[in-house]
Amino acid sequence: MSAGTLLKVRDLRGWYGESQALHDMAFEVGKGEVVTLLGRNGAGKTTTLRAIMGLLRKRSGEISFAGENLIDRMPEHIARRGIAYCPEERGIFASLTVEENLMLPPVVAEGGMALDDIYELFPNIAERRRSPGTKLSGGEQQMLAIGRILRTGATLLLLDEPTEGLAPVIVQQIGVVIRKLKERGFTVLLVEQNVRFAARLANRHYVVEHGQVIDRLEAADVAGSLDRIQNYLKV
Amino acid sequence: MMTLLGISPQLLFGQLLIGLINGVFYAMMSLGVAIIFGMLRIGNFVHGAQYMLGAFGAWYLLNLPDLFPSLGLPSLNYWWALVLVPFGVALIGALMERLFIRKVYELEHAYGLLLTVGLAMLIEGLFNVRYGAAGQQYNIPEALKGGVNLGFMFMPYYRLWVIVAGILVCVATWYAIERTRLGAYLRAATENPDLVRAFGINVPRMLMLTYAFGVGLAGLAGVMAAPIYQVSPQMGHSIIITIFAVVVIGGMGSISGAIYTGLMLGVIEGLTKVFWPQASTTVIFVIMVLVLIFRPAGLFGRETVAAHAADMSTARPDSILENGRLWMAILAIGGTIVPFFIYPVFGMKILCLALFACAYNLIFGYVGLLAFGHAAFYGSSAYVAAFTAASWGFPTELAILSGVAMATLLGAIFGWLAIRRQGLYFAMITLALAQLVYFYAIQASWTHGEDGIQSVPRGYVFGVINLNDPMAMYFFVLAVFLIGFGVIYRIVHSPFGQVLKSIRENEPRAISLGYSTDRFKLIAFTLSAMLAGLAGGTKAIVFQIASLADLYFQTSADALLMTLIGGVGTLLGPIVGAIIVVTIQTELATLGSWVIVVQGAAFVVCVLFLRKGVVGTLEDWLSARVERKRIAAGGGAPVVERSSH
Ligand SMILES: Nc1ncnc2c1ncn2[C@@H]1O[C@H](COP(=O)(O)OP(=O)(O)OP(=O)(O)O)[C@@H](O)[C@H]1O
Ligand SMILES: [Mg+2]
Repeated sequence: MSAGTLLKVRDLRGWYGESQALHDMAFEVGKGEVVTLLGRNGAGKTTTLRAIMGLLRKRSGEISFAGENLIDRMPEHIARRGIAYCPEERGIFASLTVEENLMLPPVVAEGGMALDDIYELFPNIAERRRSPGTKLSGGEQQMLAIGRILRTGATLLLLDEPTEGLAPVIVQQIGVVIRKLKERGFTVLLVEQNVRFAARLANRHYVVEHGQVIDRLEAADVAGSLDRIQNYLKV
Repeated sequence: MMTLLGISPQLLFGQLLIGLINGVFYAMMSLGVAIIFGMLRIGNFVHGAQYMLGAFGAWYLLNLPDLFPSLGLPSLNYWWALVLVPFGVALIGALMERLFIRKVYELEHAYGLLLTVGLAMLIEGLFNVRYGAAGQQYNIPEALKGGVNLGFMFMPYYRLWVIVAGILVCVATWYAIERTRLGAYLRAATENPDLVRAFGINVPRMLMLTYAFGVGLAGLAGVMAAPIYQVSPQMGHSIIITIFAVVVIGGMGSISGAIYTGLMLGVIEGLTKVFWPQASTTVIFVIMVLVLIFRPAGLFGRETVAAHAADMSTARPDSILENGRLWMAILAIGGTIVPFFIYPVFGMKILCLALFACAYNLIFGYVGLLAFGHAAFYGSSAYVAAFTAASWGFPTELAILSGVAMATLLGAIFGWLAIRRQGLYFAMITLALAQLVYFYAIQASWTHGEDGIQSVPRGYVFGVINLNDPMAMYFFVLAVFLIGFGVIYRIVHSPFGQVLKSIRENEPRAISLGYSTDRFKLIAFTLSAMLAGLAGGTKAIVFQIASLADLYFQTSADALLMTLIGGVGTLLGPIVGAIIVVTIQTELATLGSWVIVVQGAAFVVCVLFLRKGVVGTLEDWLSARVERKRIAAGGGAPVVERSSH
């Protein structure tokens, strides 16, 4: 493993009951990188993130994070190692106010963002801090879901399709945020289906299909291979 | 003195005060039940026993010198109890969560209720063995003796203290949950425990602490109740069913709603005592019925829990043990031989209860609804059959049919009310409705209260067969049983039964296929009630008595236990279960209260270790044996099969 590797996934298999959803997934994320998992609906991208987070119970293989294998750890331990998860369905709690949602994840390490910095990053959320979490618009909920994992001091962020179902302006805004997070030194594992969006942000892309990585592209190669990638994602 | 509608203010305010006190206890208890329900999805039936533990804890502390004379311990008074006992009870709660309740989180919700029913029977049974029905006296603490005259009424200090302290505890709990960071964790974990875990919060430990907290509240209520009510093993038993009704009325998902509802219902109960004393024990259950009709989600409910019928069946449809025609013949032959070897009375008891359990299995096993009030059908039919036979001189078969009609009617009404709600609510509602019938039977004159209807004539069937001959009676019961058994088999294997099966296996899919699943469930529920009534009516003739025990909660629990031990959803399970339970009851009859302890333990053991029941396990074993034989014969096992061993 090179010195700069933060997350290394090898031979990762995962099951829902008896049916296997992940078949020997393998990829790496270096410190400070933004890496994407691309793939069609049902390819296994969310399942991969859930496996890393420990939420997928039945899994085997190697998930090494900062040199420690997390494969048989509980979700709460994995979070405390410095991995934070922003789920596809956003997971905003209806019975909590916006600010309570924001303050919910406990701080796991030093170096997290200050509350004011987060509000600066997402001004619309600051205005709505007292309203119930689910009274926000879809875009605002997405910002809240991202904002809430920035406070904790986690170094690796798992973002599951943050642009799904959002207006182009908001998608752009989220792109800006992710770039800023990269500048601040966060490492991001991004699940996306929006290739144009991902292409502008990521150092590297992995294409996932049937629970496996079937291709790998460096940022530099992407421009020339957009067609190839689009082809992978075509339904 | 001024009077209001002919009622003296002393009486009015006195009852209002009593109502308010009861309301405080309802609020504290239903708060705990609601928190546990919301977070753990467990219908904590053992809450009443935990409340009783609190009261006994206070009594123990006070009597330490007498209990352990050799240790030279001091007597710890009320104030010590107030601090120590809730912690002690919470600790017991934490232990129970760790040892038992944790084991059922991943299972169908029904198992959580069954487990806590078993634990309640176990704990209350043990205290019953030790202390019997008699209550222990616990005096009001010295500092709170006496009272103050408010002009319109006399207010004892202790009662004032209970009201103030109880409401403060409720408000503090509300604040902790709705306004603090810890409460935010709790609310979030109620919505999405996995995500909260993924944020680094130890949710399993939080579940344990939440359970311990809810249980601690019950313990605290128990301490506060000790000087007011008698400290007795039964004190928690009657309150828990009321508390379940309060939770149904208040609705799910609102902490403040649970508090308001508890207080309000206590006061309403007090007022009822003034204006219509006979109705005071039932008023809460009647209100529950009204709420279910007009506001099914409850007064403050935010959500109706989207649980569906649960598939708890353990049957393997192709097993030889599920072959109804074959077993009908075996049962008929076996049933004919048996009375020459055992007492016919014992045989008839088994047959009646086996039919009852088969009827229960129809709704629990084949539809997947956790009904918890089948005593109402069994008992009401017993009463009507006994009454029509004894007082109106109905011929035996007509008396039984009258009972069946009554049970069917009740079944249709209960079903109509309860089908609107799902999962645990269904259990709570049927339980509360059955309690309503029980209280009615205590008060009505034609049921003769504690005595029941005795000396019911067995009479003649079709005017010729004299049922006073034990063998004739036996074969009559055998015939009734076989008819009931056959009817259930036909129902399950009819097209109607196929729809029930698809509802049980996947209700959303059944709905999307265009079935009005509620209607199917209601019909099945009514049929189940009808057959339970057939068992109850027959039992009243056999034993020539209908008594309150037939209507009591314990009878509903028996039906559940028989089905569970035998194997939920299997053809023969309820019969095997009835044989086992009746044998236990008969063998242990001389030990009195131990029967409940043993039955409670049986519940716990079945839920934790024998969820498939005797017959379900047997069917698994048989099919595994067939598989082994096939391999031995050179068939070779499919690769998948082998790797799964
Ligand atoms: N809870 C579940 N139970 C059973 N199978 C599941 C479950 N969740 C996902 N699957 C299956 O696992 C496979 C991978 O699903 P996953 O959600 O990881 O896909 P995805 O790549 O995230 O798709 P999308 O882009 O639509 O979010 C799919 O075949 C899906 O049907
Ligand atoms: Mg996904």
